[in-house]
Amino acid sequence: MILKGQKRKLPQEDLELADSGGPVWESQRQFVFSVSLNKYQRSQELPEPSLRRSVLIANTLRQMSLEGCREPPADMEVPEPPPPAGLLHRDVEEDEDWESTDSDVSLSAAISSILTVLDSTIDGSFPTAPRSPLRSLENLSGSSEGGVAWVKPGVRGHSVSYQQQAEPKARDGGPGDVTVEDLFQDIDTCLLERDMGVLGLGGGHPTGEDLLRYLPPFSNLKCLPSFSSFSPLPAEAFELDNLMEILVES
Amino acid sequence: MWCFSQVKGAIDEDVAEADIISTVEFNYSGELLATGDKGGRVVIFQHEQESKNRPHLRGEYNVYSTFQSHEPEFDYLKSLEIEEKINKIRWLPQQNAAHFLLSTNDKTIKLWKISERDKRAEGYNLKDEDGRVRDPFRITSLRVPVLMPMDLMVEASPRRIFANAHTYHINSISVNSDHETYLSADDLRINLWHLEITDRSFNIVDIKPANMEELTEVITAAECHPHQCNVFVYSSSKGTIRLCDMREAALCDRHSKFFEEPEDPSSRSFFSEIISSISDVKFSHSGRYMMTRDYLSVKVWDLNMENRPVETYQVHEYLRSKLCSLYENDCIFDKFECCWNGSDSAIMTGSYNNFFRMFDRNTRRDITLEASRESSKPRATLKPRKVSTGGKRKKDEISVDSLDFNKKILHTAWHPKDNVIAVAATNNLYIFQDKIN
Repeated sequence: MILKGQKRKLPQEDLELADSGGPVWESQRQFVFSVSLNKYQRSQELPEPSLRRSVLIANTLRQMSLEGCREPPADMEVPEPPPPAGLLHRDVEEDEDWESTDSDVSLSAAISSILTVLDSTIDGSFPTAPRSPLRSLENLSGSSEGGVAWVKPGVRGHSVSYQQQAEPKARDGGPGDVTVEDLFQDIDTCLLERDMGVLGLGGGHPTGEDLLRYLPPFSNLKCLPSFSSFSPLPAEAFELDNLMEILVES
Repeated sequence: MWCFSQVKGAIDEDVAEADIISTVEFNYSGELLATGDKGGRVVIFQHEQESKNRPHLRGEYNVYSTFQSHEPEFDYLKSLEIEEKINKIRWLPQQNAAHFLLSTNDKTIKLWKISERDKRAEGYNLKDEDGRVRDPFRITSLRVPVLMPMDLMVEASPRRIFANAHTYHINSISVNSDHETYLSADDLRINLWHLEITDRSFNIVDIKPANMEELTEVITAAECHPHQCNVFVYSSSKGTIRLCDMREAALCDRHSKFFEEPEDPSSRSFFSEIISSISDVKFSHSGRYMMTRDYLSVKVWDLNMENRPVETYQVHEYLRSKLCSLYENDCIFDKFECCWNGSDSAIMTGSYNNFFRMFDRNTRRDITLEASRESSKPRATLKPRKVSTGGKRKKDEISVDSLDFNKKILHTAWHPKDNVIAVAATNNLYIFQDKIN
């Protein structure tokens, strides 16, 4: 209620107060979605993203996509249909109620396509494979906790040795018997696939060969482990000169 | 009536990142107050006795010891830097003249011994007073060293280092009531340690899925029960709390009790899950209740009732309509802590604009106070603050849009016996006291 003499305020720039169902609400929803995507992508570019934050953002995106898929398809030729009268009288407290029956084919389609891309397994059809940001090194080789430290269920000791503790994997061969998979086992994939990787909603486990194929240009690589103790890798994967530059810079 | 007592820290507007306080904790007697900062340092303040001239005032806290607890490290396998920021400090109960505390960063927990030295031995046979080794051929007589008084020196030495047990970032440590063990929790696992054994720990909770892509929930906090050494709780990013009994099974992946409040469908939004994420969980001193802090509220739970909290306190409900902006600027991910007073009759938690809130559980009254330099005159009574939510702003009220979201009170501590509180405001530590009439 506007009192006499009181200056009427402009609608706040804060997006929460827009009426649901209208075009402004639509843009809000897209805004939140794009903000979430940006956040997620930026966090994956960090060397070590916060797991809690990543999970919360991913869950938010997932929820938005699910609710988007639940909405009935709309007539696409109507650019901005006027909202039903009932929706105009929403209370302020219901600003955050995103459960509108308003259609959002374009947004749903966008979400679906992104999720489809992310759900697909890494294969040769994509120049840079979608990365599962929540995947840790422990998933790469398929082994779970490693055989070194765990004694029996409930009595999981660990060794003080750093090499044994960091993602242990039982190795069949001797120290010199290193496969490509072993080489990439300990590389955090977030360093390798910086351009992609929004949601880890599917996808198989990349093998070492796959990771090798999808190494991005060297400018994107922050650093790689020293290769002095490893067997040489295929020449087409990278050039030693550039690699040395990166190692020196890091 | 709360009044200002002291403030510690620099006054500069330019705050160095390393000086930002990241944890505050009183010891069991309240005599010592420890802070940890982002630079990996621990500063311990000691309560001085009341002065005879001003018996109506409680004594002040002065610096007792300062030491570098953690240094930045580099994980060579992952090519990642491990921050030296102190995430948590927990005191051990005092058993002798020395004090012990646990401090942790993201990966490593350390047990520190803080001891006093006020005597030194003089009159060694094999070395001079300045430490030089004496020529053995010049020693013609034998003497017994004597202990001479010296200026008080407080030494901090690392006694145990508990490393290499956490793949993910440690968010909590908690000393068990048996005084022999403690737990440490990261995003996906909880480990149980013995204070004497550093080369192994027992994993008691593991919520890591076989496929990390299926991960939808992380552990946000954990605490041991204050009296029952077999019981602990841990909270999650989905707003749930699990109470586990270590007698039931070696692995506590299956909880004994599951605390969750049903969601109010009318307030559902895309941010519902994020704001339900619990940032802190604390048992009451009695052990009968526990308190959880989520983004907008503090809830008190009776351990005997799992389906809803017995009390809910709104910390800053006026932020509910601002969640979109707070999501955009990342404030929605801030992790506020909460604490009980000594008698469990009141609880305290922080907010933005250097505001902090206290709730009296008996009278149901609440108060908002501000930690600011402006109200930092000695013994000055703190004026209650109010945030205006409606269109008309009263005098002395502050509007929601004027709040400074960079000034956040994430860490607070309440003296275990007295009404003395410590509030960390970025790089400053404020100490307030309840006025003695």
